[in-house]
Amino acid sequence: MVAGAQQTVTVRRQGGVVWPVIVAMLVACLFGLTRSAFAESLDHEIDRLKADVADLSQTLYELEENVLYPVDTQVAVFLTLRNREGLDLDSVELYVNETPVASHLYTDQERDSLKQGGVQRLYIGNLPHGTHQLKAVLTARSANERFVRREATHQFRKRPGESRLQMTLDAAAPDYEPVVSFQEWK
Amino acid sequence: MVVRTKLRKVSILLALSLPAAFNPGLASGASDLASLRSGLAQFALDTHDPAAALRYTRNAVTEAERLVRAKALLVTGSYQEAEGLLNELLEGQYYRGQAALLLAELAAGHGGNGVREYLETAAKRASGSARQKALYRLAEIEREAGHTDRAGKVLASMEPGYWAALGYMNIAADYGRQDRNPSRALVALRVALAMSEGDVDSQRSQELRSRLLVRAGYLAYDHEDYEKAIGFLEKIPLESYRTPHGLYLHGLALSASGNQRAAMQSWHRAKKYPLAYPGVANAWLGTGRGYDLAGYLGQAGEAYLAANASYESERVTLRKLADQIRQKGAYQALVLDARNSEAQWFLADNRTLTQPRTAYLIRFIEQPTAQATVNRVAELREMRQTLNQREDSLAVFRGAISERLGPVGHDVGGGLFNEDIEVLVQRLANLKARTTSPAQREALKGAARTLADLKASVARLDGRLKEKDRTLNELITRTDLVRERIRAVRRKANALLGRAESELDELALAYVEAQDHRMAFALDRTEQQIAHLYEYLALENLERGQP
Repeated sequence: MVAGAQQTVTVRRQGGVVWPVIVAMLVACLFGLTRSAFAESLDHEIDRLKADVADLSQTLYELEENVLYPVDTQVAVFLTLRNREGLDLDSVELYVNETPVASHLYTDQERDSLKQGGVQRLYIGNLPHGTHQLKAVLTARSANERFVRREATHQFRKRPGESRLQMTLDAAAPDYEPVVSFQEWK
Repeated sequence: MVVRTKLRKVSILLALSLPAAFNPGLASGASDLASLRSGLAQFALDTHDPAAALRYTRNAVTEAERLVRAKALLVTGSYQEAEGLLNELLEGQYYRGQAALLLAELAAGHGGNGVREYLETAAKRASGSARQKALYRLAEIEREAGHTDRAGKVLASMEPGYWAALGYMNIAADYGRQDRNPSRALVALRVALAMSEGDVDSQRSQELRSRLLVRAGYLAYDHEDYEKAIGFLEKIPLESYRTPHGLYLHGLALSASGNQRAAMQSWHRAKKYPLAYPGVANAWLGTGRGYDLAGYLGQAGEAYLAANASYESERVTLRKLADQIRQKGAYQALVLDARNSEAQWFLADNRTLTQPRTAYLIRFIEQPTAQATVNRVAELREMRQTLNQREDSLAVFRGAISERLGPVGHDVGGGLFNEDIEVLVQRLANLKARTTSPAQREALKGAARTLADLKASVARLDGRLKEKDRTLNELITRTDLVRERIRAVRRKANALLGRAESELDELALAYVEAQDHRMAFALDRTEQQIAHLYEYLALENLERGQP
């Protein structure tokens, strides 16, 4: 009898201990779920905002180009690499009619992108119609561990409409001598 | 001779067409401009300007352009449009593997179906790092389902490198949990170490190597193979983030093999690092224990007291950090303040490992939830800053456009320029008659072309001048609309930033509290050790005092 009474007490005690634990676990689970749902909804909203910002940025680019670089006087210079392994670009300076207009120091990321076929817009500006001179000064490390500094010049005629000049850098084996070539696009 | 010339022509044509054949971006002459756009988009995406990448690929035609656009859309959160493009590429010719991998990641991130199928396609179709990543993920699916052997088979088909090393490291963790004997886990870790040497990213390879060595060292120590443990741990570079943990384990292995003096040297070196790193708090305790085992009870007591003081001081630091989080927000207190330091560049590496706040930041960021939360705040702050800059630029544009409004001047018109051009054309004609060399003729031809261009421009000038104010007013209206949009987006960004920051604060405070508990626990242990020591000394004294 006494033992039975003791058992009942034990069962009650267990129930008393177990229920708060279950409730606490449920609350913790619910809290966890609410938190993850909150984070998820926040992520969705941030994604929507990112899309809005990207859209806005595109509109702004267009507006800026319309205001700053009217089509008839616009000149853009692009840089590409022909040989992936020949050169590690360090810097490029660009001069139009002996006036410095752009200079760029390359990060590893930019170098990698150029090697993967990326094209960099080095310069965009306005020039009057007629003949102009473009000069590029580049410093780089060639694949045979030589540090090189080279200058290349190109005469071009600015005509009505957008002018695009593509500057291509090549350094072929075995001497990895940098060669700069220019191509004009209409 | 004719045949030779023809052959040369054919070979030149072949040489010219070869790069185009191998590079899908340069498929044909007509697509040269598309290839330029695609390259520009690629560069923009690689240099973290996805908006520019989207602009360059607005009218994406080639598969290369569509792939870049899909990637830019993923970065900017437009998943549905990206998914559509990727599905098209999956049916395409050149980028099926990459598209499948991106689709797998998209599906995995959003709880979608078909992850395994996409990964299998990627493993079959992709090359290089994309293929290795797909195979690694396939191996992980098998491993997580409990099929370690199948995961091993997938890993065996991989090339040496980062992804294979990561796969073997995970398998080693499974073996470590399952087996009583560490040999399978150690073999997997040795394979992972060998695979990590094939990683082209040297920094990443070093970091993974240190991680693998700590694991191997711990596993060997745990199974009482101290020599092997010491061998692994001594290979950890001293400037690694894992160094303090490695030093602590090194000390443990040395201590277990009876070399207390060398063990204490390792722990003493580990004590130089902030207490946030794994093993450092235990290294403080270990020094006391080492003196104790070596029989220097006085020094042991001093070492325990020093450990006690250090834990107390760390708790003060943690309390201050918690106060700062409450006052300035977690992003400022934990992330920005840890970054802003006046240390010189030559101390920078040392600083990242020895500054307590940086150490707590690194430990905090190790948690995936914390990474996501900090990333949200960082992204939103960057967005807000970009929007502010854009609005400032627009204000300047608007001013510049407004200045151009109104009459240009009475004497500006096409007629005046036409007269000048006619005079120049006349002079050119006179000079042309006197030219003697081809260079002179070429120069005059160029000048004639420029004059013709100028004449055409002047012909359009009057019309343009009439339209000027209308065009400028249109631009002003567009500018105002964009400014309104910027303000609306910024309001939204600010609201989201507030929510993201409060979530980060909550998480950071919970983390700091957990660290405080850890310190309190360490403090308890040193106090117990001190109590044991004093008890032992008191008993010794009593025994000595007895006749």
